Amino acid sequence: MNDGATGPLASAGRTRFGRLEAHLPSVLLAAVGAALPLIGDAYLGVIATRAAIYWVLVSGLNLVVGFAGQIAIGWVALLTLGAYATSVLSAGTVLPEVSPFLALLAAGLLGAIFGVIIGLPALRLRTFYFAMTTLGFATIVTQVALAWKSVTGGGVGVPGPVFAWPFASPWGFYYFCLGLAVIATWMTTNIAASRFGRSLVAIRDAEVAAEAVGIHKPSLLVTVFLFSGAVAAIAGGLFASLQSYITPDAFTFDLSVLFFIAILIGGRGSILGPLLGTIILTALPEFAAPLVAWSTFLYAVLLLVIVLAVPGGIADLLDYKNRRPLQRHREIRPQPALLAHIMPHSEQANLLRLEHLTLSFGGVRAIDGVELEIKAGEVHGLIGPNGSGKTTTLNVICGYYPPQHGLVRLNDKVLGPAAPHTRARHRIARTFQTPRLVGAASVLENVMIGGTTAGRASFVEALLSLPRQHRDEQQARAAAMAALAAVGLDQLALVRADRLQHSELRFVEIARALMSRPLFLLLDEPAAGLTVDEIKRLGALIVTISRQGTGVLLVEHHADMIFDICDRVTVLNLGKVLASGTPAEIRGHREVINAYLGA
Amino acid sequence: MLLSIVSYGLALGAVYALIGITYNVMFAASRVFSFTAGTVGMLGGVIGALLINRLGLPVALGFLLTLGAGAGLGIITEMVTVRPVLKSLDQHLYVLSTLAFALMLQQLTAIEWSTEPQPFPRLLPFGPGIFDQQFWLPMLACGVTIAGLEWLYRHTLVGRAFLAIAEDNYAARALGLPEQGLRIASYALAGMIGTLAGFSSGEMMLAYFGNGPLLNFYGFVPVALGGMGSNRGAVAGGLALGLFQQTANFLVGGIFASVAIFVVFIIVLLVRPEGFAGAAPARRV
Amino acid sequence: MSLSRRQALLGSAAGTAALATGLYRPAIAASEPIRIGYLPALTGPSSSTGIGINRGTELAVKEINDAGGINGRQIELIVRDTQSDPTKAVNAATELTRRHKVHVIWGPLNSGEALAATPLIARDGIPQMHPCWVDTLTDVKKYPLAFRNAPTNQQIGGAANHYVVNILKAKKVAVISDTTGYGTASLNAYVPMLKTLAAEVAYEGSVESNNPDLKPELLRMQSAGAQAIMPWSVNAGFLSRIINTRAEMNWDIPIVGQTTLGSGQTKALLKKPEYWEKVYPNNFRNCSYSAGGALPPRTVEFVERIRKANIEMSDTLLWWIALGYDGPRLMAEAIKAAGSAPEEIAGYWNKVKGWPGVYGSITWTPDLHDGFQNEEIVMCQANSLRDGAFTLAPGYTG
Repeated sequence: MNDGATGPLASAGRTRFGRLEAHLPSVLLAAVGAALPLIGDAYLGVIATRAAIYWVLVSGLNLVVGFAGQIAIGWVALLTLGAYATSVLSAGTVLPEVSPFLALLAAGLLGAIFGVIIGLPALRLRTFYFAMTTLGFATIVTQVALAWKSVTGGGVGVPGPVFAWPFASPWGFYYFCLGLAVIATWMTTNIAASRFGRSLVAIRDAEVAAEAVGIHKPSLLVTVFLFSGAVAAIAGGLFASLQSYITPDAFTFDLSVLFFIAILIGGRGSILGPLLGTIILTALPEFAAPLVAWSTFLYAVLLLVIVLAVPGGIADLLDYKNRRPLQRHREIRPQPALLAHIMPHSEQANLLRLEHLTLSFGGVRAIDGVELEIKAGEVHGLIGPNGSGKTTTLNVICGYYPPQHGLVRLNDKVLGPAAPHTRARHRIARTFQTPRLVGAASVLENVMIGGTTAGRASFVEALLSLPRQHRDEQQARAAAMAALAAVGLDQLALVRADRLQHSELRFVEIARALMSRPLFLLLDEPAAGLTVDEIKRLGALIVTISRQGTGVLLVEHHADMIFDICDRVTVLNLGKVLASGTPAEIRGHREVINAYLGA
Repeated sequence: MLLSIVSYGLALGAVYALIGITYNVMFAASRVFSFTAGTVGMLGGVIGALLINRLGLPVALGFLLTLGAGAGLGIITEMVTVRPVLKSLDQHLYVLSTLAFALMLQQLTAIEWSTEPQPFPRLLPFGPGIFDQQFWLPMLACGVTIAGLEWLYRHTLVGRAFLAIAEDNYAARALGLPEQGLRIASYALAGMIGTLAGFSSGEMMLAYFGNGPLLNFYGFVPVALGGMGSNRGAVAGGLALGLFQQTANFLVGGIFASVAIFVVFIIVLLVRPEGFAGAAPARRV
Repeated sequence: MSLSRRQALLGSAAGTAALATGLYRPAIAASEPIRIGYLPALTGPSSSTGIGINRGTELAVKEINDAGGINGRQIELIVRDTQSDPTKAVNAATELTRRHKVHVIWGPLNSGEALAATPLIARDGIPQMHPCWVDTLTDVKKYPLAFRNAPTNQQIGGAANHYVVNILKAKKVAVISDTTGYGTASLNAYVPMLKTLAAEVAYEGSVESNNPDLKPELLRMQSAGAQAIMPWSVNAGFLSRIINTRAEMNWDIPIVGQTTLGSGQTKALLKKPEYWEKVYPNNFRNCSYSAGGALPPRTVEFVERIRKANIEMSDTLLWWIALGYDGPRLMAEAIKAAGSAPEEIAGYWNKVKGWPGVYGSITWTPDLHDGFQNEEIVMCQANSLRDGAFTLAPGYTG
């Protein structure tokens, strides 16, 4: 989340100013919006009302497209649904007449359900395929509106709802829509600054790592689709009122394009960016009458320009904080002594056992009957030539691949074979061969993602910024800063992760892993690409982690490091365990020398 | 009645199959699905009508120029919307860039050509019959394309190079194959196939900018169902889709027919995300 | 937006100065143009009416302005193309009423857009004249300032149905429309009207206007035994495809319905000119040749004027141009006689009786804002198109 307004501050707590800065989009919108009627241009009021209504929808869609990264293009389907639901219920033609406000709420409920229905394919399908299905849904809804004449009036349409005084007059209705827009902005800003927002971005940019820290993609996506669908349908009811009369041909593909492009132009992972994007795209065609015909063409050109030139969108352009040059020749100096702040010393004798693990990929047997024991407080090295099955073993422990035979046992519990997102709850953490971080988020946010399972507040509590949510955030931030201090990167806490050097990214991953106070820490070639000094400091850090009571499994190619810090070493070759013992035993083992170490 | 369903269904199905092949050829060269596949098909019809009806060119010349335009559009797609985003770490940018380009082409067509379907010229000079040229021309185009691609892939060096790039990008480059040049050529080929689809079906579908999103979707369904990258799957899926659509059209009428197709599409995809003939996704960690 | 703010500031400064001196006030009022807000659909699926009407409107405004305007005030025609899109119509209508503060609105010209825009125009208290046919678009209570200078759906359908059932003696009728507001409303209105005439509706359906293949629909009509097809759509492509498909099926039945069946646009999309036989659209007495083969003198003179102005007729319909011509003239007459305030314009219109338009004569009362007379609606032969007018359909007398 590169939005300067939602990034955290360096201090452990949030000052009042910090919170205000985070809510800049809501404040700006409220202030400018409230002042607009003073200009006295009633036509401007209509355009502004329209922009507010569109923003209500886009703010919800933003969580789906901008944060979760799902390419949901056909969201006009929910606008249509909400518009018709509100209009029909207010008119009382099918069911007994209800007040337009209640109709709006009912539409929201309907929208939530359909938001999930339309969004569900995202859980199964590739990006492009999902985009196509949302387009399909948009067309289906329009066709149903045309065909279901008894309810929707077919091509003739239905009159829109009229809200009671004081919202009936044009400016009154404007304030109503503005109010809802401000609430929507406030709510989505709250989500963006919570663990839910971070989790969404993690799913988008680092899905594999997200699973490792305990983020369950399906439930998170369903929650977001519920919210986004509800909000879109409410926007639909407002739209119907603004139009005063709706027919199926008012819900064009062009509208879907507008919503979608507003988010991309604004910048993913931002609230302020898409807000500005929506206002710009709604107002743009009104500047000159000929522009109206060319509006969709212009939107498409803008989208292409943004994708090619400034993929981060407007938010990127506004992100002055991340343009300050970083200090060159930075050194990473971990402070292992600080580990005690995050991970209190534990004497528990935990045990992670791999029993007869076997897994083949196609015809290749990647691991064959692997047996391994990792004890608490011990550093256990796993070495072997490339292709010997080291990373596969790690992946099986973490639940990415179910083994064909054998199992993984934590103390006396068998770990679920194909459930990577449950490992975090068991306090098993890992790093990856290639660092998997959210480049667009700050270092601190990346580390806070590691503490997802510690969060207690529900989505609704985060939405409404209730006290438990604040406590969660404070604790997460404090823990993350402590972790960063321990690995020596606290000076870079607010910097965008994609600006860091490769070696720094590896240490960030370790800080993230420490957030869950892991019982077992699995490191996949953490020293790759590090300098000699950095490797030494890494080694000291790992040793200190293990002395706090964590069991460490270290997969590595750097033989010096292995023999320096490991208590036990296991050697894999061609998927089988070649040897297992103390470093001294392994160093002298003839077959190991032949297969891997050399003389 | 039955004859009408079969002839129209197979003809439309052939068009959908050809667009599916366009998707596949673009995908094989870049592992990217492009929203411009259907748009290029639409432009085949529009450019053909423009050249032959409005500018009065002879049919053969119009045909060749249209194919040329298709190749050009394919190359522009590659240069502007695919190549720049292939390098980026964010894999999904291609969806956006190709979508933007497709939208631009479509809107330009709507504004400059017409928002209404315009007539397309009769290509061959003999009169309407029961099995009319507007039906067998697309099928002929489909057959020729399939045969041509088979010959290309199996019996020419260039074709085998295409397959190599599609199979394993890195290895092909290590062997010294000019990846960029081959990709450009693939996109040009895909563009030509797309415009061929639009041109041969012009009389049936009329020259209409709205054909773009229509072909985008209905051309994608065979690819999704038949498995991406599989041309045979695309043809089978396309013909099946065309027949299903016309049968539904006749039995229940236009609106419900399209709803039926979308529902079937979504259900099949949810059950088998990789399609009937496709391979399950490779390892991701 | 800042530009308009500056303009507003400058404008109010100038206005204040003028008020202060008191000298310029009458001059400003005298030279201030009459602003007519105009909402045609010049592009999009329902643009054939807009394009035709536009030619007449532009001619009328030019003539009035060349003759010195209305009491010395020039007409400023502020055009906003609705693109056949109700959302754009709403935006445009609001811009015209609130920002440009027009004196009167001409349009929207399509029912779908008028359904959305009319309530808003009424709410802003601006007089409106429109030629849309959907019945609900006038209502003296809900829209006291809205007047229709064209027939209603009921009137049009009544004439067509009467011809099909009573003159062509078709017992089974197929009714097909496109999916626009106008098309669906027509279908909904006409099917019950046919049933009261004791005809059987063998087929009724709405099809999207850009659907390239209407054969399944016509096959279903044929197998249901239809003896006449009644299409209701202003989309020339849609109508031409019905006509072409009928011919390709070698199906010899009459097509009776919407006036656009006879437009030059439709003719241009036919695969063979002979396909235009046995097509009988609605038309209007003033734009039809009488039994003696002559047009009413007013129409002859109008056609001459159009020719002199080099206005194209062959790709549209004469009555659209005539209608477009009549609208602004009736507005100008009201403003000239009564004044440019809303109640003055509406008050004048409420008393119009037998106003001699080229298209038809208009009569309005405070209780009825539908100005067109039943007797002036006729059926004609499409392929008799000559100089923009048609001969009456066979067997048609009254």
